[in-house]
Amino acid sequence: MTKSREIKSRYFGLAGFIFLFLPMIFMAGCGKTKPRLNIYTWADYFKPGLVSRFEKEHNCRVVIDTFDSNEAMYAKLKAGAMGYDLLTPTSYMVSLMHSQNMIQRLDHRLLPNLIHIDPDYLKLAIDKTMDHSVPYMFVYTGLAYLKSKVPDFVPSWSMFDRADLKGRMTMLNDMRETIGAGLKFLGYSLNSTDEKELREAKEVVLRWKKNIAKFENEQYKTGIASGEFLVVASYSGDILQVRRENPDVMFAVPRQGTVISVDDLVIPQNAREMELAHAFINFLHDPAVAAENTMFLSYLCPNKDCYPLLSEEMRKNPAVFLDPEIRAKCEILADLGEANALYIKIWDEIKAAK
Amino acid sequence: MKRETRNKTQEWLVSFPSLFWLALFFVMPTAFVLAVALRPSNPYGGIGAGWTLENLRRLADPNYLIIAWRTIWISVLITFICILLAIPIGYYLARVTPKWRNFFLMLVIIPFWTNFLIRIFAWKVLLHPEGLIKRLLVFLGMAAPQTSLLYNPAAVVLVSVYTFLPFTILPIYAAADKFDFTLVEAARDLGARSFQAFYKIFLPGIRRGLFTAVLFVFIPSLGSYIIPDIVGGPTSEMIGNKIAQRVFVDRNLPQASALSVILTLSVLAPLIAVLFLQGKKEKPGAIF
Amino acid sequence: MKRSRFPLMITVAVLFFFYLPILILVVNSFNASRFESSWQGFSLRWYARLVHEPEIWQAARNSLIIAFSATAVSVILGTLAAVALHRFSKSRLQRFHYTLVYTPLVMPEILMGISLLMFFVSSGVRLGLFSIFLAHVTFCISFVAMVVLARLQDFDYSIVEAAQDLGAGWWATIRKVLLPMLLPGLMAGGLLAFTLSIDDFVITFFVAGPGSTTLPIRVYSMIKHGSPPLINALSTVLLVITFSAVAMSQRLSRSNQ
Repeated sequence: MTKSREIKSRYFGLAGFIFLFLPMIFMAGCGKTKPRLNIYTWADYFKPGLVSRFEKEHNCRVVIDTFDSNEAMYAKLKAGAMGYDLLTPTSYMVSLMHSQNMIQRLDHRLLPNLIHIDPDYLKLAIDKTMDHSVPYMFVYTGLAYLKSKVPDFVPSWSMFDRADLKGRMTMLNDMRETIGAGLKFLGYSLNSTDEKELREAKEVVLRWKKNIAKFENEQYKTGIASGEFLVVASYSGDILQVRRENPDVMFAVPRQGTVISVDDLVIPQNAREMELAHAFINFLHDPAVAAENTMFLSYLCPNKDCYPLLSEEMRKNPAVFLDPEIRAKCEILADLGEANALYIKIWDEIKAAK
Repeated sequence: MKRETRNKTQEWLVSFPSLFWLALFFVMPTAFVLAVALRPSNPYGGIGAGWTLENLRRLADPNYLIIAWRTIWISVLITFICILLAIPIGYYLARVTPKWRNFFLMLVIIPFWTNFLIRIFAWKVLLHPEGLIKRLLVFLGMAAPQTSLLYNPAAVVLVSVYTFLPFTILPIYAAADKFDFTLVEAARDLGARSFQAFYKIFLPGIRRGLFTAVLFVFIPSLGSYIIPDIVGGPTSEMIGNKIAQRVFVDRNLPQASALSVILTLSVLAPLIAVLFLQGKKEKPGAIF
Repeated sequence: MKRSRFPLMITVAVLFFFYLPILILVVNSFNASRFESSWQGFSLRWYARLVHEPEIWQAARNSLIIAFSATAVSVILGTLAAVALHRFSKSRLQRFHYTLVYTPLVMPEILMGISLLMFFVSSGVRLGLFSIFLAHVTFCISFVAMVVLARLQDFDYSIVEAAQDLGAGWWATIRKVLLPMLLPGLMAGGLLAFTLSIDDFVITFFVAGPGSTTLPIRVYSMIKHGSPPLINALSTVLLVITFSAVAMSQRLSRSNQ
């Protein structure tokens, strides 16, 4: 009685396995008639309706795979993974990939919408001629705080010196961002490679470390929305999204200046669907499309002709369109090549200290 | 004579599938990456040419020692708690009637088919400074209003125990299920006290299951980095975090390999010693 | 003979411990808030959105396909390995075999992921569902083998040999002697392999190809930009399906008897 069930269950298992395995093999060799654009990007980075519009207009399929960090994406691609046609790394990663010949030169003839890009932004950019990258969205790093719980808030990095907020603050778990905050606080450049300046920044961060609960890159959103934290170093777009649910959360850019993070659109060396990839980049910079994506993400697309199409709330938001004086002090992170080792050493020391 | 050759061919036949698979998909790639530990790194994440012992030399950094020690004691604690909890559960599951047994087994494992990250986030909600558990503890006087339940080694231990417990229960159950419980009853009939019978008869009877259970929790704890990353504090960094940092942030694959080599060898070495030393003396299957 | 209630009490307590976060997870799937911070009111919006997110269902489908097939293959290979290791335990081959089975358990996942990726790239295996399947079997074999080995402790092979001497073919011996005895071990090993496969992130991240995203990969990237409550909703749906399947099979097996 039990044995027959065992045999039956075993055969069922074997049959199930065969049934499940075969489709896999067949799927590998399945030939689709429509061309396929493989994009490797952040999650929920394009408004879904826009992607299907692109698919219809160009009679193709768009497959979006996601990564959770630039570094993970880089490690995977450096180890040899292929098959992606479009990537959205952050600017410092773009310079790194470019120096490693991992991305291609762009064909501007296929990108007529590039004339809409904001020239003010290009002045700050690393790839000023958009030779191999086109900016897509950018955010500022800043301080988010709960208005009702932190009444004497000052838009300055010195907030992390406030011992009365001890244990209720977080800083970013990112070497360049946090050491950068220290550098900015002292008035130095975020891309400094001067050892003396870096040591001073390290002392500042060690001082701040005593007041923070932890280094946190993503969960600060939930943390500040739920009141777990009172002041967090965060990205502007994330906080704007949190504000829709909890209006008590405010965002401010420190007056000493901060990091501008830009995500660029790049095409890897071994991409197959070159034309489609260019078409997608061009599509994203159609002003109406750029405006829709901007509103969807609460980030900012540096497409000057989309600004008038944004909501008034966005246009008036000082976290989106910065005060020019502060903006002059902000910088985009560059890859530091060999000097990275210096930052790594200091970051290790910061992490290991009690 | 005939049986011996039949045995030899049988041995090769039965061992071949897993040997082949592991040799192809595990040994070759792993040997390659471990060899990378002996190559210099370049700042762009690539692997330099030539060979060097630099990565191994850098392992002597005192920072690593602090982290290694912390990793070890946290892992030992996690393992101890898991085993302590898994033994009674394995015992209970093995004694219960078969229809309830499958039911309980599924009940134990199904929570772990939900996503790992989502479960950790659920723990963050549970341990929130203004959550129910904290409020209960403050009410009972067991915690001060400022103490944080999160971002410290205790949180890492709690969430790790949660994560690894099913992996300890399963091997102990697999071994206990086969155990002849009449032996324990016989011992008690002969006058042994319950706990004595349990300790001297039951536990050795499932020793392989115990060893496997320890393995399944201690090793992953040593290498875990996601749990300390999310619920650990700035002082809860473990070796797994360092390896992750070396690979992703520092783009130093050779150094990450070197760290992994040490981690792997330090756990492998005692086993190999046991294997090759005891193989001659004791009966087959004492430990393995 | 008095049976202590202690094991039962521990089991119930631990089950309660296991399901506490699950309860939070399910409750939050109905939370209107996107950030799981506070209760913003009851809402079915995540379930509604789930219907329109083909990417998530695709990822779930991929995860299940890989989990089922990897479990099946690794249970077969792992059991064979355990049988060999126990039966021929004194030979040199088996000591080498044991090291081979044991080491994947000890190797950090990041290194294993990168090494497999490099191996696939250099040997021309295309990254996709198949490469993930290969990687998952590779680490599951060790777990299954160790669990089945635990079951084989003190098992006396002379029974098998006696049966063979009496003329039973090896398939009959396996079916009537070995398999029934091993079955709980196989089941425990299979459950373990399935759980490991369905939740694996690190190794899968490295060996996945374009279009072959699995659920863990999707979830990890959603933490930064997306809406995690969607996953709560998906998990709740999957939990309901799984529990119903288990309940149904319990009812069927009881009626069979």
